[in-house]
Amino acid sequence: MKIRFWGVRGSCATPGGRYLRYGGNTTAIEVRSDSGHRILIDLGTGVTELAKELMAAEFGQGKGVLPVLLTHTHVDHIQGLPFFTPLFIRGNSIRIMGRELAGVSLKEVLQDQLNGHYSPLYGLENLAAGLEVQTLKTGASWPAEGFEVKTELAPHGSTSVVACRITADGKSVVIMTDVEHAPEGISPELTELARDCDLLVHDAMFSDSEYAQRAGWGHSSVGSAIAVAESVGARRLALFHHSPDSSDEHLDMIVGQATESSSVAVFAAQEGHDVDI
Amino acid sequence: MHLTFWGVRGSYPVPGAATVRYGGHTSCVELRSESGGCLVIDAGTGLRGLGQKLAQEARDPGGTTYNLILSHVHWDHIQGLPFFEPAYIGDTKIVVHAPRAAAKELRLVIGGITRHEFFPVALDAVPADFEFQEVTPGKAFDIDEFTVLPIGLNHPFGAVGYRVDADGSSMAYVSDTAPFDRMLHKQHFTAGVEEPNSDDLAILSEMRANLVQSLRRVDTVIYDTHFTKGEYEQFTHWGHSTPDHALEICHEAGVRQLVLYHHAPAHDDDAMDKIAEQYGVRGKRMAIAVCVAREAMTLTMGEATNPGFGV
Ligand SMILES: [Zn+2]
Ligand SMILES: [Zn+2]
Ligand SMILES: [Zn+2]
Repeated sequence: MKIRFWGVRGSCATPGGRYLRYGGNTTAIEVRSDSGHRILIDLGTGVTELAKELMAAEFGQGKGVLPVLLTHTHVDHIQGLPFFTPLFIRGNSIRIMGRELAGVSLKEVLQDQLNGHYSPLYGLENLAAGLEVQTLKTGASWPAEGFEVKTELAPHGSTSVVACRITADGKSVVIMTDVEHAPEGISPELTELARDCDLLVHDAMFSDSEYAQRAGWGHSSVGSAIAVAESVGARRLALFHHSPDSSDEHLDMIVGQATESSSVAVFAAQEGHDVDI
Repeated sequence: MHLTFWGVRGSYPVPGAATVRYGGHTSCVELRSESGGCLVIDAGTGLRGLGQKLAQEARDPGGTTYNLILSHVHWDHIQGLPFFEPAYIGDTKIVVHAPRAAAKELRLVIGGITRHEFFPVALDAVPADFEFQEVTPGKAFDIDEFTVLPIGLNHPFGAVGYRVDADGSSMAYVSDTAPFDRMLHKQHFTAGVEEPNSDDLAILSEMRANLVQSLRRVDTVIYDTHFTKGEYEQFTHWGHSTPDHALEICHEAGVRQLVLYHHAPAHDDDAMDKIAEQYGVRGKRMAIAVCVAREAMTLTMGEATNPGFGV
């Protein structure tokens, strides 16, 4: 199994020369099994780059199949959807999975993203590809051919997001982004989800000193990402959802400090990089 | 009056090495009068950086009023709004002027992007006070020393451009718009070009005449030139123009400085260099100085020799 980070940035995309090495696109992660199956996590601006690769292959001919898991619908996790060109090709089958939301369906939220005020697409029905929006319960397995996908709810400020464990080829990656655990630490359900995974991709939006001012914002510090990785017995930790204020230099420094203090091998997720699991 | 570009890109922000020189942030322009008055045009991702600067500049932590004028509320023109730092400073007032292109109230439409499913902080929960003012094409209004004239444009769901006069100089912001011949953009989805009927053609020609009239001898015009000629033929129904369309309008209006703006995400720095060169030459033949908008570029209105206008 292999993963590729197409977008690693949180909140807001960061164009410019200070963000070239780690990348400025908002969140999107592609997971690929040895058998060639694919699953995509989130639809941030990073998917516009993935789209180019997909369109050059079967998605350009309307023969692509892609399951997408949405951690939640904050804009930095869905803003690539209207520009994801495989959605404009008839025949492609794209399925978006997300959790039930209180008082509003996932489909309504995505429909509102594309309404005429905001987008010339005027709604999901105008996407030429077959698009299925599937609402699922966390705690159960979610369907994606070639993978085993387990999910749990994780706390994100006043709301919650989907954390997932994706298994194929005898390896597991756990993605826990936009999460701020309770002060007493990670919940038993999330511990179980992440236990002994080969790679933990974890929200690390703030350095430990930055976090002091931003407790309650729904994001983690580097220190808390390390603590989670150590407590669940992860083999490797990828710091993810970088703050738009973190330049390449700043991230180098964060990684340097993290490497010193962590007993788990740690790196910062980098756009365009493949990671063998 | 002078202006600074904070975002020059259309559709969506484009980070990476290929856009470092011209910039990858979406639409946002800062206008300044000689006395330091500030007017912000559009709230794309470029607004985040501008907001950080404005928040640092503010002498008192609060008590400041910011005016934002929006061309329309497509995502690339509003997605910076939740990241505008002054919105998180108490005793701050933010006045958003925008066209109301539908029956829905403006507050609901713009408030909609900060519904909790999209963004953690609701518009009503931020410390700053938001006020919404509806603009109407043809009806000029004053914001401090700026006189602002909204101009109707041809774009899906509707958009307005603005002519702004202050300190005896003028600028105009014409984005987003399609040209005024092939199709009238309305408030429904179109998968391709919708042939205009005679009513549509009458509306288009009036819209065009109004635009030319409004731009008459404006010092500097910023224009949506998203497409190259070839791309326009392929995506005629998307609601954007080419530099040729912009030159034609500016020529008729007697405009001497044209800034190409709202660059397509696919146009990397090298592509923009070529466009700059090609249209620099073409503009010169029509006695119009042409330059390509770059992030962080500053221009002074009414000045014959702006460094940006190289060719
Ligand atoms: Zn996020
Ligand atoms: Zn636009
Ligand atoms: Zn638009």
